[in-house]
Amino acid sequence: MSVEIEFDSSWQDDFLHRIDNDGPWGNWELFKLAIDVEKHLVIPEFEGLQAPNHLPNLTPLPHQLETAKQVIENMNGKAILADEVGLGKTIEAGLILKEYMIRGLVKKVLILVPASLVTQWAIELNSKFFIPAVTQRKSYVWEQCDVVVSSIDTAKRNPHRDIINKLDYDLIIIDEAHKLKNNKTKNYEFVQNLKKKFCLLLTATPIQNRIEEIFNLVSLLKPGHLGSETAFYEKYKRDARSLNDDEHLKELVNKVMIRNRRADTGIEWTKRQVETIPIEFSSAEKDLYDSISVLKSEGDWVQTSAFSVMTLQREACSSREAVFYTLKNMLQKKENPTPAFEEQIEFLIKKVEAVQQNSKAEKALELIQQVNDKVIIFTEYRATQMYLQWYLKQHGISSVPFRGGFKRGKKDWMRELFQKHAQVLIATEAGGEGINLQFCNHIINFDLPWNPMRLEQRIGRIHRLGQEKDVMIYNFAIKGTVEEHILKLLYEKIHLFEKVIGELDDILTKLEFGNIEDHLIDIFGQSSSEGEMRIKMENLSSMIEFAQSMKEGESHAAAGNS
Amino acid sequence: MQQQEIHDFLLTYFQANDCPIIENNPGYLIVQLTVELDKELMNRPFYWHYLEKTGGIPNPMRLTFITDQKKAPENMKGEIIHFGSPRLHQIFDSTKKLASYIRLYENHQHIQSQTALFPWLCMNVKISYQCDRKRDIFKSIGLQLINGQMVEDFHIRLQKVPLTPKIPDYSFTLSPLVKPKSGMIRVENYLKSVISEDDHSWADEARKRWEQDLRLLNHFYEDEEEENENYETEKKALQEQYEPKINISFINGGLFYLTEKAI
Repeated sequence: MSVEIEFDSSWQDDFLHRIDNDGPWGNWELFKLAIDVEKHLVIPEFEGLQAPNHLPNLTPLPHQLETAKQVIENMNGKAILADEVGLGKTIEAGLILKEYMIRGLVKKVLILVPASLVTQWAIELNSKFFIPAVTQRKSYVWEQCDVVVSSIDTAKRNPHRDIINKLDYDLIIIDEAHKLKNNKTKNYEFVQNLKKKFCLLLTATPIQNRIEEIFNLVSLLKPGHLGSETAFYEKYKRDARSLNDDEHLKELVNKVMIRNRRADTGIEWTKRQVETIPIEFSSAEKDLYDSISVLKSEGDWVQTSAFSVMTLQREACSSREAVFYTLKNMLQKKENPTPAFEEQIEFLIKKVEAVQQNSKAEKALELIQQVNDKVIIFTEYRATQMYLQWYLKQHGISSVPFRGGFKRGKKDWMRELFQKHAQVLIATEAGGEGINLQFCNHIINFDLPWNPMRLEQRIGRIHRLGQEKDVMIYNFAIKGTVEEHILKLLYEKIHLFEKVIGELDDILTKLEFGNIEDHLIDIFGQSSSEGEMRIKMENLSSMIEFAQSMKEGESHAAAGNS
Repeated sequence: MQQQEIHDFLLTYFQANDCPIIENNPGYLIVQLTVELDKELMNRPFYWHYLEKTGGIPNPMRLTFITDQKKAPENMKGEIIHFGSPRLHQIFDSTKKLASYIRLYENHQHIQSQTALFPWLCMNVKISYQCDRKRDIFKSIGLQLINGQMVEDFHIRLQKVPLTPKIPDYSFTLSPLVKPKSGMIRVENYLKSVISEDDHSWADEARKRWEQDLRLLNHFYEDEEEENENYETEKKALQEQYEPKINISFINGGLFYLTEKAI
């Protein structure tokens, strides 16, 4: 037996001193109580989780408990947690942290998260896990507090950086760790220099794509796990497309990474039911839309880029208010506008004024009345949002607005109002991370975002853990406009709406052809004819289809092997 | 710890510290703190300092603990206490702090003759096996300071002995042949020998994990010619993570004067 035994003898002098001085002596009831307490706090086994017994307000899901156990027992507390969106990576990280703290293996903790999530992390750790996490506000916090939450951008700047570099951390947690994929960045270097015993890297985007990114991330966690840099690149070519090409590498990575998929969690997910609702413009609305479309071929507008024309087109499909707001802005921002330009804008504003109704809003009202339940309306435009709130109020329907830019407290307040008092929530953005609205199961996509991930986020607000009903998604599209093209060719063809959450990011990252939105802008902006546009759209959607079929093939193969 | 156990624990703690119990009903407990306990638990040194300087009337706080929300009256304001709550752990710590050392006598009923009481040294400790994981063992050791008899589970044996802080009538204490100081060393050595007979495959496995990670680390930095600071940092971190250690930490202990056949 060669393990060093540390015997705490600090109490002995104190004890002898009391014998000499005849006291003071403790109370027998308290003495017995102290032993009872200690017996409750003793951890009898190396294995297993103690944390759940300490967390009455939290019922972790089986896959979350399993992940925490895996990380502690088989991965020695160093892991990349890469669950699909919405499976609760924060809960997993909290469980692991709590477990280590209960066992007395972790005291000093640094949690680096995006600036927008700092407060939320601190609140969740305090309220769900009873971990006294503190947000970093003053530079003395680093040394004085044991569990600190900060953004990486703050932490890496002096004077903080110098203080942090001197500290020894027991555990470091980094959220959105995929941002550290490049080892030439300051952030990477900063994290690399941290002194840490245990480490958790959280990422929602699968890193399975670029071999270089995998190497950098794993080397941050466990240097040498994938070999030295030169040896690694000799073996796996830098340009190798994907991790899946190499079974051995995949196995190695899986030793430090856990990725739970929705399908494996055994949780019953409710269905998504998608209904496309085609809407006809009124004649005045159509006139406005057509007047904008004509601009594309007119001289003075070319230099203002095809982009603004397209924006106006899309806005015209949403509300006249949205168009008006943009036009006004264009006029104000333009330096020394030519008379022709001013005239053009004036002309369009006249067209806007001619519009007396909003066909989509009428349809939305009809639908909301018919559903007679809570509904979330998503629109891309703030002007539309404001208009809709007014319009619904005219018809006796209460609604609350929601924007990504709201402060945390206001977001929570609006959510609460929606849950308890209002029938409709009108949101301009998915609000990014953090707002969960699973008590509602109807979504109206008043207009469609061009980036499918944004759409995924919208649906993800309500189609997540805790949703008990099937989710109803209504897509509004005006016939004969860009909107219809997008919906028909992109979304419907690839069955985007029926996808399970998380599948999409897999597919899109696999494509590696960049941002879908850019492709769409290119297609709608640069195509000289309707025909060209259609062909390009067809191309894009078949590429996505191809990636999708690859993925399906893969999962079939996997199923066959097991 | 079940909620009922927590309730009973709180009650015992405050009673043992002479705090008046204002209300004690299923699901909740209201206690009036004494000045001492207010200072111990409420963390408001400035208030007490101010009060002592100005000679004001002390106003220790009154606390409401809710141990079961279902049984407590609705809308009751108070601290909800459960096994993970920071307040409970603060009280745990306080319990240990307030009763680290003790001296008690057996409250025997032999009034006919003078009775000799034998001194026992009691040590309650926690042994922790620690690497990147951890487990604990609770030990209660008693050592008779006349004949050197050593017993385990001493605390459990004490439960059936009536004890009192004042030496009972018709009693005298024998003075220890083994000095408390050397008694402590005997207990320490005994614990170490018990530990050495235990199964320590956990430590071997931890060392294996350590070596494995160290090999990887060396491989990662093998191309570097000069000394690399990151390498040293990582190496030290691995040691801290995996190196097996055994800690024996003291919970509480004391002297017990007991009749010859008490244990």
